[in-house]
Amino acid sequence: MTQIPDNSRTNNADSHGQPAVLETGGVFGDESSTINRRRFLEAAGFSISLAALTGCGRAPVETALPFPIQPVGAIPGRFQDYASTCAGCPTACGLLVGTRDGRPLKMEGLPEHPLSRGGLCAVGQALPIGLYDSHRLTGPLSAGKSSEWASVDQEIIQAFSQIKEQKKAVRFVTPTITSPTLQANIDAFLAQFENAKHVVFDAISSSAILDAHEQTHGVRVLPHYLLDKAKVLISFGADFLGTWISPVEFTAAWSSRRAPTEEYPEMSYHVQIESRMSLTGSNADRRVTIAPNEQHLVLSRLAHEVASLAGKPLENSPPLEGSLADTEIASLARKLWEARGESLVLCDSQDKATQVAVNLINHHLEGYGKTLDVKRPSNQRQGSDRDVQQLVEELEADQVGALLVADVDLLHDLASCQTLADAVGRIPLTISFSQREDEFASLAKFVCPDHHVLESWSDAEPIGGLISLAQPTIRPLRETRAVLESLAVWSDRPTTAYEALQSHWKKTIFPRRQKEASAQFVKFWEQSLREGFVEVEAAKSVVGDFKAGEVKPLAQQTATGDFSLILYTKVSMPDSRHSHNPWLHELPDPISKVTWGNYVCVSPSDAKELGLVDGDIVKVSAGDEGPQLELPALVQTGQHDGVLAIALAYGCKGTDRFAKIGPQWFEARPTVLENELLGKNAAAFVEFRDGAQQYLRSGVTLSKTSKRRDLATTQLYNSLEVPAEVAPHGAERRDIVQHTTLNAFAKDTHAGAVEHHFDGDTQLWPEDHPKTGHAWGMVIDLNKCTGCSACVIACQSENNVPVVGYDEVRRQREMHWMRIDRYYTGEGEDMDVDHQPMMCQHCDNAPCETVCPVLATVHSSEGLNEQVYNRCVGTRYCANNCPYKVRRFNWFKYEHDDTLQNLVLNPEVTVRSRGVMEKCSMCVQRIEAGKVEARSQGLPVADGAIQTACQQSCPANAIVFGDINDQESKIYEALENPRRYRVLEELNVRPSVSYLRVVKNRDEESHSG
Amino acid sequence: MVESEKDLQTPAVPAPSPDEMAKLRPTLITGGKVPADVTRDICTPLERGPTGLWWGAFSLSLTVLTIGVVAVTYQIAMGIGTWGLNRTVGWAFDITNFVFWVGIGHAGTLISAVLFLFRQKWRTSVNRAAEAMTLFAVVCAGLFPVIHMGRPWLAFWMAPYPNMRGSLWVNFKSPLLWDVFAISTYLLISAVFWYVGLIPDLATIRDRSKPGLRKRLSGLFSLGWNGSARTWHRYETVYLLLAGIATPLVFSVHTIVSMDFATAVIPGWHTTIFPPYFVAGAIFSGLAMVLTLMIIARKVMQLENYITVLHIERMCKLMLSMGCIVGLAYGTEFFIAAFSGNPYEQFVFFNRALGPFSWAYWTMVSCNVLVPQVLWFRPIRRNIVLVFVVSIFVNIGMWFERFVIIVTSLHRDFLPSSWADYTPTTVEVATLLGSFGLFFTLFLLFCRFIPVIAIAEVKGVLEKPRRDLKHDSAQGDAA
Repeated sequence: MTQIPDNSRTNNADSHGQPAVLETGGVFGDESSTINRRRFLEAAGFSISLAALTGCGRAPVETALPFPIQPVGAIPGRFQDYASTCAGCPTACGLLVGTRDGRPLKMEGLPEHPLSRGGLCAVGQALPIGLYDSHRLTGPLSAGKSSEWASVDQEIIQAFSQIKEQKKAVRFVTPTITSPTLQANIDAFLAQFENAKHVVFDAISSSAILDAHEQTHGVRVLPHYLLDKAKVLISFGADFLGTWISPVEFTAAWSSRRAPTEEYPEMSYHVQIESRMSLTGSNADRRVTIAPNEQHLVLSRLAHEVASLAGKPLENSPPLEGSLADTEIASLARKLWEARGESLVLCDSQDKATQVAVNLINHHLEGYGKTLDVKRPSNQRQGSDRDVQQLVEELEADQVGALLVADVDLLHDLASCQTLADAVGRIPLTISFSQREDEFASLAKFVCPDHHVLESWSDAEPIGGLISLAQPTIRPLRETRAVLESLAVWSDRPTTAYEALQSHWKKTIFPRRQKEASAQFVKFWEQSLREGFVEVEAAKSVVGDFKAGEVKPLAQQTATGDFSLILYTKVSMPDSRHSHNPWLHELPDPISKVTWGNYVCVSPSDAKELGLVDGDIVKVSAGDEGPQLELPALVQTGQHDGVLAIALAYGCKGTDRFAKIGPQWFEARPTVLENELLGKNAAAFVEFRDGAQQYLRSGVTLSKTSKRRDLATTQLYNSLEVPAEVAPHGAERRDIVQHTTLNAFAKDTHAGAVEHHFDGDTQLWPEDHPKTGHAWGMVIDLNKCTGCSACVIACQSENNVPVVGYDEVRRQREMHWMRIDRYYTGEGEDMDVDHQPMMCQHCDNAPCETVCPVLATVHSSEGLNEQVYNRCVGTRYCANNCPYKVRRFNWFKYEHDDTLQNLVLNPEVTVRSRGVMEKCSMCVQRIEAGKVEARSQGLPVADGAIQTACQQSCPANAIVFGDINDQESKIYEALENPRRYRVLEELNVRPSVSYLRVVKNRDEESHSG
Repeated sequence: MVESEKDLQTPAVPAPSPDEMAKLRPTLITGGKVPADVTRDICTPLERGPTGLWWGAFSLSLTVLTIGVVAVTYQIAMGIGTWGLNRTVGWAFDITNFVFWVGIGHAGTLISAVLFLFRQKWRTSVNRAAEAMTLFAVVCAGLFPVIHMGRPWLAFWMAPYPNMRGSLWVNFKSPLLWDVFAISTYLLISAVFWYVGLIPDLATIRDRSKPGLRKRLSGLFSLGWNGSARTWHRYETVYLLLAGIATPLVFSVHTIVSMDFATAVIPGWHTTIFPPYFVAGAIFSGLAMVLTLMIIARKVMQLENYITVLHIERMCKLMLSMGCIVGLAYGTEFFIAAFSGNPYEQFVFFNRALGPFSWAYWTMVSCNVLVPQVLWFRPIRRNIVLVFVVSIFVNIGMWFERFVIIVTSLHRDFLPSSWADYTPTTVEVATLLGSFGLFFTLFLLFCRFIPVIAIAEVKGVLEKPRRDLKHDSAQGDAA
């Protein structure tokens, strides 16, 4: 008998209690007397098998039977949550996979996980649609043709034995692998060969940080940054809330210091010094823009100041030039110094010398061991760009006999991808583990597709000593095979991934267990599996003493050419593996609000000079010989002049599949133009310099072409200040996002409140619909919310929000129920950026309800504004009359023809037909499920037992939802917060959603109060 | 109403002799027509069969209507997405066209009912065509609320009748529902009023027709009219009563249509001035459309003696006065916005005049307020070509008035994040064209089969008869 890991959403109390036990029984006619987890999942997945597997032609008819014996814990029609690990990126956040009838449907954050703390980013939320992607490879390919595993294995084994004989070089390329088991297996596999090497290639590499620590601490590690310990935080370009290393963890940690209260009016001080507009910069207390080539200089001046304050002045003082005044830097240094031990400097530079200066600063600030940890380092970026560079040289010199590539598209993500294709073609043995025919896979001799992450067993050690497990939640939909298993077959030691994982754990993880852990491996394993993670002793690493002598002051780099180009990744597209994910493509970028594809960000004054407006196609080229590409321009407020920015991970092979996504009618424009791909691949602009991939390139020229391609953006007007030419006197700015400063807040907690002539307590009509039972409400803390947009995808996944494609978004017809409004205020460095999640406000005096002629939108006795799809005839009057414009109309019958992809739909939520209105329901299906659960136990609904999808996923924990009538509830407490206000309160629509005012840690008095 | 007051005051003046009266009153029907001439002039074109001009106009209208039918069919098959609407601008051409056509439909009843009650005799030459126009305009208007629905096949859900759809009922709080009642009532009353006025003329046609389909149909629909004094008496009573019933509708329909906007929270819609403003606007646009049509009809159907410069001039005066009311309403809106201190309201009006749709706003102001001012001048009022041009301007201006109210208010409302643009699609433009196609197709069919001028009523306003009535009766005139 095997125990079933269970972490039921509806019954959290049991999740750590007695595990469910499955009786024996051969559901599949299997003769084995035990059903292991795997078998159970196969059984649980039977319902999917009928629909999905017929499509793949591998459904044994006899499996389509109801359970002969009901698996314990599996209740048809009920969500069952499994603790797992997200593999969307190397961050390895804790994951709670919501499965229903054997189908993984909804990804949530694992609340107990020490890093992600219950949050999950948009990419993690979007995993299911990748699982049910009908374009995934259905089985192995040999020379581009579909083949059988047996024959592929035979050929590969033969090829490997030849390589062994000829003693040729074997190179295994992966991105950062946080899985200790996979790492050990790769090492073991490569050990068979005389000249074998595992090359870790991160498309977005932090190699310089590791190299700098090798220099200063004697160990090549990425420190674990503890942002919740940082009272003063200065980030040089590091977009740690958006894309840098571990955004979910950092957001959770950062936001924990962003909630000043009446008793403790304190919060962290966050300065962002950057060249392009990042999500992190948009949330900083102070944002300074500098030219990218100034970063070295500013940092070395800061290092100089900090070192002087620490009493260990540097020998050579850096030149006093640059745009940031000396007093400014001195004051920053003083702030850092005063908070030493609680201050932290971050930097995204790929220049080792710069990172050494950062280490020096953090060292002097006594940060090591307090705000950043190298003893329990992070494994989330391990890439060694020197190894990658060496690999490229080897490839060009035809020195590689076998090239294995997993989880990365070498010929797309690598800088020299365009020139390497021939060299790769000459390699005798090339194996890709890609799930799709990406650039490398299409050239590879063999493609041995890996499982989707939701189909595979794995583990991860993102931070030394924190190991989490990933478990499959569905039987593989395709004839795919885990990399572990493939390697095992080729090593002539066939095993399953599950066995490999367990044996590795038994051998290496179990001995590292903490004292209080069970001494029995089975119990240790089961507990780890049930909880999703386990804390063990960190591997011993020898950290040397800080070698300060090696820090040299840095000179300013001289810039050449017209522009500097920054290559970055969008929050929605961390790497090219997700390029086939329509949810992520349609997720508006948190800053630019543009969907579908990448673009060239240009600063407003440069755009003015060049006569550019959004959508003008520009040509970006790096010299005559260098790479060049044409992309639409986007005028990006807050970007430093002379800087261009292009997102990587676009222009991926196969993305022309999206050409016809969305409604097809005669005026519709295709999402992807003919013979083009979605966006353009800018990887060619990445340079290998000083042993690292450089995402900053100077000497880039920009020229305007005569072509245009409108950007599909969800927000056309970007300011809370109405256009000057139509602004009424005294109402130039709308107080939709309210602000104050920490200083003002400390004096008066209501600072920043806007005075209205409106008296909310006096109502014209008596309260004739008292909410005596529940009264659902929501409070969103705008000071915690970073705008990361995880909630948007969470909502899309939970509520079956359709993907509508480029043209519909361009026409302002995106369907997201939840959106994040982003407003710019002011200009230049004083510019503020506000992020405001906006969804149905569930008004008590809802303007939509009175105007519907057929009563399709009505008020519930619990304060919800309910949309009755069946009743709706589609007059759109309600949407017109909604002051918040949160209602979404089904302009077309959105595509639901892909039967495999339809498996991603949540059966709890109706799929809306065309011609009806829809909007946020406050996850009414979750509310009802929570009520049913409470009723079945005879208990009142506990506060926190019902969580909306957006609330659950929020990495910043910015959303509170609950019953306003429950005076013990968190929402009741949140409503008493002095920062609380309601948007458009003066309209007297009485929304159920409140917001908490933004507090910036600044000295000046609140400007709107 | 200037004209009517003057006329009403006439009896107060020391009674002049009948001859002097005749001199004071301008001649309504020129050309020295006798009743028999009237019958002949108006019935001959119907009996003669269509001219080449009619066929040309009819095939053009039918073509345009076909374009509209194709557009609407495509739209219903594909979805509302084939229109240029978006999450912010949920109504644009659809409801603009609706309000525009409802407005056009106002002049008919005004001319027939209100002017009838005010004893404006000059109305007799234009009332039939104006009523027909009303009817067709309301038909066009009624189309839009149906096709603008996301699921038009469920339009009957708007009707509050006992049904088997559970406990579901309509929402009497919704102005859209009030529209359903207002428009259907108006259509019904207008149709009845028009038909009742038509009965004596149908009898004339019946009496003039040779046996055949025309005689049978006109016989059926003239309800056995025999021209007796008793019949006439009943007829006049019914007509007066119907005029009394129809008169409030002139004001109620557009009042209710305006409430679609006035009861909403959207700044630019939420205004108490809307009911009178909309009624004035509707009458204004209706008169313009009547003028446009009558000027064409008098020329094409050689009715210069029946629709004289005098009629045109009086219509112009009425239109001018309505134009001034509309202009006043535009000004009042701005004043109230400024006076209210409501920043959203103020913004909307700044945005109308200076924002992205300012071109539409200034088109509206120029066409509706500035251009009609030329009608203060008698020579211009009597210049048929110029009046025609002015009437076209007013038609355009009044369409834009509704467009401005709907689109500029919606496209930038409360939250700047949701502000959006609006550009119509081909389908929308084709649908607008199609509605004109439908209107003109119906109007041309009307001209072809039904007397465009109320024969019986015109006879009542002829100059003092030169021959006595007996003689006319002997010629077989039922009237």
